[in-house]
Amino acid sequence: MIIIKLWLLFLIIGGITIDMKCGLEIHVQLKTDSKLFCDCSTNYKEAPANTNICPVCLNQPGTKPFPTNEKALKNALTIALMLNCKIDKDITYFMRKHYDYPDLPSGYQRTSVPIGYEGDLNGIKIREIHMEEDPGQFKPDFGIVDFNRSGIPLVEIVTEPDMHSPEEAREFLKELIRVLNYSECARGEGTMRADVNISLEGGNRAEIKNINSIKGAYKSLKFEMIRQKNLIKRGVEVKQETRAFLESQMITVAMRTKEDADDYRFIPDPDLPPIKVQKKQLEEVSETIPEAPHNKVKRFIEEYDIDEESAKTLTSELKLANAYEIVVKSIDPKFAAMWMRDELKRVLTYNKLDFKESEISAENIIELLNLLNDKKITTKVGQRIIEKMPKNKNSPKEIAEELGLIGVVEKDEVLDTAKKTISENEAAVSDYKKGKETSLNFLVGQVMKLTRGKADPGETVKILKELIDN
Amino acid sequence: MNTFEKLQAIKNQDLKATDNLESFLKKIENNNSSINAFLTINKDSARNKAKEIDDKIAKGANVGSLAGLVFGIKANINVEDEIISAASKTLEDYQSSYDATVIKRIKEQDGIIIGMCNMDEFAAGSSTESSYFGATDNPAAPGHIPGGSSGGSAAAIAAEMCDITLGSDTGGSIRNPASHCGVFGFKPTYGAVSRQGLLDLSMSLDQIGPLADDVSGMAVALDTIVGYDKTECTSLNQEFPVFTEVINQNSEKLQDYMKDMKVLCINQFSDVTDDHINNIIDDSVAKIKNMGAEVVDSSFNYIDLCLPTYYLINYVEFFSATRKYDGRKYGYKIEDVCGEEVLRRIEMGSYISQQEFSGKYYKKALQARSLIRNEINKLLSDADLILGPTVPKLPHKIGEKLEPMEMYAYDVLTVIANLAGIPAGSMKAGEYNGIPVGLQLQAKPNGDVKIIKAMAALNH
Ligand SMILES: [Zn+2]
Repeated sequence: MIIIKLWLLFLIIGGITIDMKCGLEIHVQLKTDSKLFCDCSTNYKEAPANTNICPVCLNQPGTKPFPTNEKALKNALTIALMLNCKIDKDITYFMRKHYDYPDLPSGYQRTSVPIGYEGDLNGIKIREIHMEEDPGQFKPDFGIVDFNRSGIPLVEIVTEPDMHSPEEAREFLKELIRVLNYSECARGEGTMRADVNISLEGGNRAEIKNINSIKGAYKSLKFEMIRQKNLIKRGVEVKQETRAFLESQMITVAMRTKEDADDYRFIPDPDLPPIKVQKKQLEEVSETIPEAPHNKVKRFIEEYDIDEESAKTLTSELKLANAYEIVVKSIDPKFAAMWMRDELKRVLTYNKLDFKESEISAENIIELLNLLNDKKITTKVGQRIIEKMPKNKNSPKEIAEELGLIGVVEKDEVLDTAKKTISENEAAVSDYKKGKETSLNFLVGQVMKLTRGKADPGETVKILKELIDN
Repeated sequence: MNTFEKLQAIKNQDLKATDNLESFLKKIENNNSSINAFLTINKDSARNKAKEIDDKIAKGANVGSLAGLVFGIKANINVEDEIISAASKTLEDYQSSYDATVIKRIKEQDGIIIGMCNMDEFAAGSSTESSYFGATDNPAAPGHIPGGSSGGSAAAIAAEMCDITLGSDTGGSIRNPASHCGVFGFKPTYGAVSRQGLLDLSMSLDQIGPLADDVSGMAVALDTIVGYDKTECTSLNQEFPVFTEVINQNSEKLQDYMKDMKVLCINQFSDVTDDHINNIIDDSVAKIKNMGAEVVDSSFNYIDLCLPTYYLINYVEFFSATRKYDGRKYGYKIEDVCGEEVLRRIEMGSYISQQEFSGKYYKKALQARSLIRNEINKLLSDADLILGPTVPKLPHKIGEKLEPMEMYAYDVLTVIANLAGIPAGSMKAGEYNGIPVGLQLQAKPNGDVKIIKAMAALNH
């Protein structure tokens, strides 16, 4: 014991960090119109509580599951293939996982045996992928269980403990959500629920449940890492246990230890005979599988000769990447990348929209970039137009016309306006002459204002300087 | 008047559906308090339906194939608005919000549902004594158990309280009471009848089937309830025979069918059976031989494996099925209010299915089941029927205390059909001391029609 403590002391004094291992179990809803085992609709968030229900998803006495939703299976297979998983061509079937909770009307959750296994995403190994049914939502505040969510299909993605820091786990989750977004088969981070396994060298493994976001996963890992480190430092054993993440306080608390861990009493569901994944079905899925984002990044760099940063930004969203590929058919890829990466993303971020929600089309972007290329508008005007583009029925040209921004002002007109500005702002001119650079900016601003931004800013500076200096 | 004739009489307005119903209602009124075959009776809806049918016929409108026939339904099959208690306290107030697929089909064909039949609690029993609402008497042998678990359904037929009843059969629960009450009972091939809406006992074994007092009643019921149901995954997606056509023949033609039949009698079945019963079964075998069937003595070496295999599977699946009765939605937590047999099965199921034992018991049981299924299919590969007793012993007196193993022994000859998924029926072969004795007929999967044919031939 003393030796171990000395060894730990050595580690701490030596400043050697303790190795951390972390694995994830991520659940995300699959994108389907109907539930996994009945015909009820899946729009549970919009529907009033307990309206998207039937005897089957309420698991009333005597009901049996309808045949497994084929779209759900197809979506899960697509995701498995995008994560480079092997697919079991033989059969898949559902197990009953028994536990007692108010949101679970049958007393068990149906979860498939792995439909994909041994995949990977950016070097993190994927152990296996399952299909599952979502339970209802227990709402203690209202004293009700809302079963609208009961029976919605989920995909469960289980990784190997291949991540070594909270940051790495966060990066993985971001990339995974991006892949899911690309797959168009899942509903994204909003429906994510994750369990996290974490163990530090010299300690046992803790499982953290109740994580609902990437941020939550990161924060809980951070907290847990520090908590476990402190225990190890003090020579206290880290227990193998299940802990719950409290999002409001960003901490984890003990739920149960290994000794009283649940026994789920798994049995194959007798109501659902094994499904054979048909070779034809698998081929169909393979043919239509979307390119994974990390592969798209590589291709964009090579094909369009753009830098990695731009490629990553442009592929952050499938619709954006698709739009870019349309735009570059008629616009210089580098020029397009610059505008779409900097200006478009700035506007989207400001408006808290993703590209799809902005309703901006590739055609809109082409029109705008053509206006710039043809010098019908200045960069400044281009920026103002793009700010107006989200959720706008008018095209960039129409926006420009509406705001009277079309056309670049000729040099003569700029010269006239500059002269007028100088004569009307003597104080600023004399300040500038005394060396106050900002006064020149003010004068440029005045010219831009009078020309409604149609003057070229660089040209204006040059003209103003010439006029004042001479 | 057999069921065919009755249907025709109703269509011809020689018999009113209303009168058919009223005569049953009268019998129920007079005798149900002592027999306890029905738990609930719905006079109003039955009367409305009967009147509607009579009106339709009077107007010359089309009516369904069951028009005017009166049905009793085992209390574990969902009928909208009825109390589906499964004869338990747990579900004493569970009012169903939907019709089981078989009920939809009966209603579509203008069958009249008169009420819900008594049974063993959650179908876990072979005597109907474990009903929370009291035991059912055997109308054919008063004072004796009617068998179970569909004891109410069999007693209702024996007491002439309705035309046809539905039961469910997991290890003999239709055939066993049919045998004790001296009526026809049939468990179709697993998957031939949709289980959608049937409360679970053991999902991989459960099957709904009819009981009636004549073969034509069995045939009309089967034509209605047998068929593919796209909402139930174990339902068979295939063509099914028309049972009424097959048996709607003159008696010579029916007996002719038997000439080409090869019939097996299994030594081990008679070995485990009471001799009084064996004697009566022998008479039936002689009868079938006289019709020209080839009868062959045969052997089934796994009979000792059947009950343990059956009960292990039953325990685990029943444990799983009852997790929904957690007290949150249906009033009572099942373990708090159930009888001892239901509790035994839940506790055994919970024990066996623990992670540490899963390889030891449940998986072994599934393996044993495959073995039994293969062996039975091998026996039937070049034979048409297996003939033998339905139940190895005579029914005991109501209230007589039996050890669980003695109770389980009633099932030894019936569980095989459920384990193997094959069709099996029971019909009255004779009586011993006034107590009916049942003959069991089993066939290979989808050989249901052979059993019905043989029943029709033997009944003539
Ligand atoms: Zn539903």
